[in-house]
Amino acid sequence: MITTTPTKHRSTAWTIWIVLLAAGLLAGFGCFVYQWSQGLGVTGLSNTITWGLYIVAFMFLIGISAGGLIVVAGAELADSHRFAHVNRLAVVCSVAAVATAAGTILPDLGRPQRAWKMLAQPHVTSPLVWDMVVLATYLVIGIVDLWILTRTPVPAKPLRIMAIVSLPVAIIVHSVTAWIFGLLVARPFWNTPLLAPLFISSALVSGTALVVCTAFVTERVTEYRVGDEVYAGLRRLLVWFVAADMFLLFTEVMTTFVSGGPDHRTQLDILLTGRLSPVFWSEITFGALVPFALLLSRSKRRATVAVAGTLLILGVAAKRINILFAAEFNPLIGLAPGIPGGRPGQEFRPDEIYLPSWVEIGVLIGITSFFLSIVTLGVQRAVLPHARHGRDTMTVSH
Amino acid sequence: MSDDRVSPIEALPVASRAYGTIDRHSDHPRWGMAVDLERCVGCWSCAVICKSENAVPLGMWWNRILTVGASLDAPATDVHGRHDLHWVPLACQHCDNAPCQKVCPTSATWINDEGLVLVNQDDCIGCRYCMAACPYGVRVFNWGDSEFPVPEGTGMVATRPVGSVEKCTMCVHRLAEDQIPSCVWSCPAQARVFGDLNAPESRLVEMLESRNAEVLLEEKGTHPKVSYLQPRRRRPIQVTATDVSS
Repeated sequence: MITTTPTKHRSTAWTIWIVLLAAGLLAGFGCFVYQWSQGLGVTGLSNTITWGLYIVAFMFLIGISAGGLIVVAGAELADSHRFAHVNRLAVVCSVAAVATAAGTILPDLGRPQRAWKMLAQPHVTSPLVWDMVVLATYLVIGIVDLWILTRTPVPAKPLRIMAIVSLPVAIIVHSVTAWIFGLLVARPFWNTPLLAPLFISSALVSGTALVVCTAFVTERVTEYRVGDEVYAGLRRLLVWFVAADMFLLFTEVMTTFVSGGPDHRTQLDILLTGRLSPVFWSEITFGALVPFALLLSRSKRRATVAVAGTLLILGVAAKRINILFAAEFNPLIGLAPGIPGGRPGQEFRPDEIYLPSWVEIGVLIGITSFFLSIVTLGVQRAVLPHARHGRDTMTVSH
Repeated sequence: MSDDRVSPIEALPVASRAYGTIDRHSDHPRWGMAVDLERCVGCWSCAVICKSENAVPLGMWWNRILTVGASLDAPATDVHGRHDLHWVPLACQHCDNAPCQKVCPTSATWINDEGLVLVNQDDCIGCRYCMAACPYGVRVFNWGDSEFPVPEGTGMVATRPVGSVEKCTMCVHRLAEDQIPSCVWSCPAQARVFGDLNAPESRLVEMLESRNAEVLLEEKGTHPKVSYLQPRRRRPIQVTATDVSS
């Protein structure tokens, strides 16, 4: 199966990488088990900030899953073969992101042992149930896509059918994920019709950026090569995606700033001038404007696109943080003494702060390792075997 | 659990039981409550008895008393700069259109035939979606084993497991015995009125109609069954969304 064997000097690096991933997985699992045994009190969460790092990771992972299906389905529907060299890699990224996102819900549950109740007795009005259904569909589509793409020759008709199916599903996935937050009357900052379009645009940005970064890294560590035209194409896509994302964010901020209701405005002020303002303005500057300038710059070096992609990914991660916490910091009823903390020593916490605990950081390391393990496995099993003469080639039977 | 324990309700003298008996109600009651802000003195009696009635552990409250004003140290003042103390007792509003019930992925939060929003702890997976969805912030989560756990048999209901969400039940276990919720009978100022919203002759409906009754965050469309009666002689108490504290 594996036709590409790592060369000698790489095998040490390979071993170190595998050991690192295994250590990360173990640490994460250990922290998860510890948290499970103690209760969520070992996290930095409280009755005011009920969702934290795990939900940020969940939102972010679903976002970065967009790349694969866009590169494959979008290109297929546009009859473009420009991205044929990266489409296996892109789908691997998607599958890894969706699988990890689904898993990220588990440590966020107070009683993971009862998670099966969501399957056994789903409540149809809950956006969380909708998300469970569309995520499962999305994951199956990704796996089937990958299976089709690893056939030789790649069957043309199934690929096209999958493209037609997967594009609307991808849009629904990001919309439903946005609606988990956007349909809540209790959180004015989330409760905007623009949240679903914003989630889609952020997903396009971070998903495409992830494909760029993964391709760049894979090129560095294996003999796999991506053509310049792929980078040029992804760069052009990113320019449009970042522009759309910034435009949507701008209209949202503008509308709220000028004419938003007081409760919505208070939550926006947390971002503009309040305690999240450093994160917000870094997101705008280093997560959007700087990479946008890099993408538009004359430098056609792959590294430039990869740096821009990395900054964009970090920018979208910062955006997830901002979206989540801006809505949680100011409860609608803010009268003293506030919402009970829930644990001795923090009877009431009207002025809420949240810092992830070491347990949450540990679980996040596990989540990251899980994601990277699937990407590594996918690259090794689905991408490299099909790379002939160092290039990922695809023969489509017609 | 020892079976020889006597229910405090049964142990109450007949007079007290009569005092705590539910007002006239229809065959299909829709339970509701009115909190008279003119009468509330902010003593926290209802909050404390709620804790003992429902075995709510340290650090958690199903029912709490909010002070109108910038903070506890800086309550509201009137136009002359004098203290103008007002309180807003806050617990589950038992919304007809309950956001928490809609978003619960397992139907652990449900609404019973009498309109009460309840949590089935067996089905709660602890995702805390209901807490994100509740505009009133009245739900509390069991973050871990309490440092000072409630001794077995302290309250009139079972304690809730770690990892589940809990909140005011309108003392549904007392209603089954034809007794009003504990926060109602225990209020020294008689600021709380409990009754059947479906019974036009009940004291609750009469008060809601004769007094300036308001619900919290009406604009959110949750249709709470808990109403607040505004003071008649003073300016209305403003419970607006968010206090702009920077």
